[in-house]
Amino acid sequence: MTGPLLEVEALSVAFGPKLNPVRAVDAVSFTVNAGEAVGIVGESGSGKSVTSLAILRLVPDPPGRIVGGRIRFAGADLLSLPPARMPEIRGRDIGMIFQEPMSSLNPVMTIGDQITEAVMLHERISARRRRALALEMLDLVGIPNPAERFLSYPHQFSGGMRQRVMIAMALVCRPKLVIADEPTTALDVTIQAQVLALMNRIRSTFGTAILIISHDFGVIAEVADRVVVMYAGRIVEQGDVRSIFRHPAHPYTRGLLQSIPRLEDDRRRLYQIPGSVPAPGARSAGCPFCPRCPDRLPICANAMPPMAEVGPSHHTACWTNPGASVAGAQ
Amino acid sequence: MAITIASDEPEYARSPSLVATFSRRLLTDPVTLVAVLYLGLLCLVAIFAPLIAPNDPLAQSILQINLPPSRDHWLGTDQFGRDVLSRIIYGSRASLELGLISPLLAALGGSIIGMIGGYFGGIVDRVVGRLIDLLLSFPILLLGIIVAAALGPGFWNLVMALVLAFAPRFARIARASTLSIRNEPFVEAAVAAGVRHPTIIVRHILPNIAGSIAVLITLWISSAIQLEATLSFLGLGTEPPRPSWGNIIRDGLNNLFGSAWPIVSAGFAITLTVLAFNLLGDAVRDVLDPELKE
Repeated sequence: MTGPLLEVEALSVAFGPKLNPVRAVDAVSFTVNAGEAVGIVGESGSGKSVTSLAILRLVPDPPGRIVGGRIRFAGADLLSLPPARMPEIRGRDIGMIFQEPMSSLNPVMTIGDQITEAVMLHERISARRRRALALEMLDLVGIPNPAERFLSYPHQFSGGMRQRVMIAMALVCRPKLVIADEPTTALDVTIQAQVLALMNRIRSTFGTAILIISHDFGVIAEVADRVVVMYAGRIVEQGDVRSIFRHPAHPYTRGLLQSIPRLEDDRRRLYQIPGSVPAPGARSAGCPFCPRCPDRLPICANAMPPMAEVGPSHHTACWTNPGASVAGAQ
Repeated sequence: MAITIASDEPEYARSPSLVATFSRRLLTDPVTLVAVLYLGLLCLVAIFAPLIAPNDPLAQSILQINLPPSRDHWLGTDQFGRDVLSRIIYGSRASLELGLISPLLAALGGSIIGMIGGYFGGIVDRVVGRLIDLLLSFPILLLGIIVAAALGPGFWNLVMALVLAFAPRFARIARASTLSIRNEPFVEAAVAAGVRHPTIIVRHILPNIAGSIAVLITLWISSAIQLEATLSFLGLGTEPPRPSWGNIIRDGLNNLFGSAWPIVSAGFAITLTVLAFNLLGDAVRDVLDPELKE
């Protein structure tokens, strides 16, 4: 297969009334190659979760709908598939790990039944082989005594264990891509580290591509090869992890990186980006970050900066980047 | 290649099953135990009525009318000389059949409709909601009388009347419970795993609302038995000469001064049975409701 595994092109998702819709995701384009880990980072309301839901066409409709763009997965255009075909893709080709391990498992089903459910839907194999597959998966995600825990209910598991079960569920059909929406947000720090190590291990074992969504640069750095930074429904910067961490080109990315507390820091007060994300309805013609930007130029309030190259495989949409005016002139 | 990471939860306890919780309740609560034993006995009596009943419940005898209790007729005889005890024993069949079948059918139909409305929402939910409101606006007894009057008396017509009366009550509860369950992340997770909507309703929604439906069934069984008696009393239920507790009272009322034994016996049977089912319902509710567990 040539080309990227997942190709999101100018994706736009709108919410609210048809006449006055609010764009939660606006012209977002990025790709995920086979076996690659890509992170989407941004603060609350930046559209990162909606983007991930849109890939599986899980945006709740109403009130949301995908209003433009294309999503190509392994050569197929997901947005033009009839809705009845989507369940074949979900779980089998693209697995999803949710944010809330506490409530993302059905409290009245044994975890064994929940893990085998996806296999039952997508593959015609015997109940014994399904069970064997699920046990193998439970073992792989680090659940001790899988055969015994197979019959346990979710309330008998701690949060970290449930997240492992969720990961086992997402991976049991060996999908080509796993979307993890804030997989560690609800967990405490030591468990976070274990879960991230597990995700890395799974990627190297199965060659699964990972799309990880987080507000936490540390989580992204742990897992991802490439980073997509989103702000107010738009991509403001994307590139490989190293160059974004070393040379963040967009003021928003710089702000996010500076906001990470450090132990050796002796500042009295933690850094913060002034202001907050603009309400989705109240966006102007210019760069959405302009009102909060420390480096704003006169042009910023009036025109949206185009995506322009900063370095090899590193792009940003900012007028302070010298490439932007060149790209804008074209 | 197994990943070995120390378990962050070395030990876990298996929570006691519902059957175990219920058994413990039976052992610690003598009232519930008596109610359950009584209902078990009643079921045996209804099933083995031909073996237990001392006489033919339909056999009339002009020589033995309105007798008081005696060794031959423990509860006396009615105005046609029929043995009252045998009629009560056979009458338990009508009460139990109707009392069990109609709430179960109502639960089945009502839950399906309620879950569909609650799950899909939108226009489907509105149609279901108005249908529920429409049926709920009829008093149950009136609905029973309407159906019986339109279709005539008879067992299955009575079942239909009670199902129509009970189903919206089940649908309302099923819809409300489904509304809260369908927004749980595990439903979204199931969709994301490729599970289709009908399967989600059966595998993920239904087991989560089954507890409240089960409580509702036990509570409506006693109402069904009362309604059977009421409608039979009004002549719209079980057709004579087939005995039911309701029509024993109806026949007995015309003959109140001949012998009070039929009315007293049937009334006593109805009271005991309804009470027992209510106590069972309370016990089931307590066992299934985690808030009430100590």
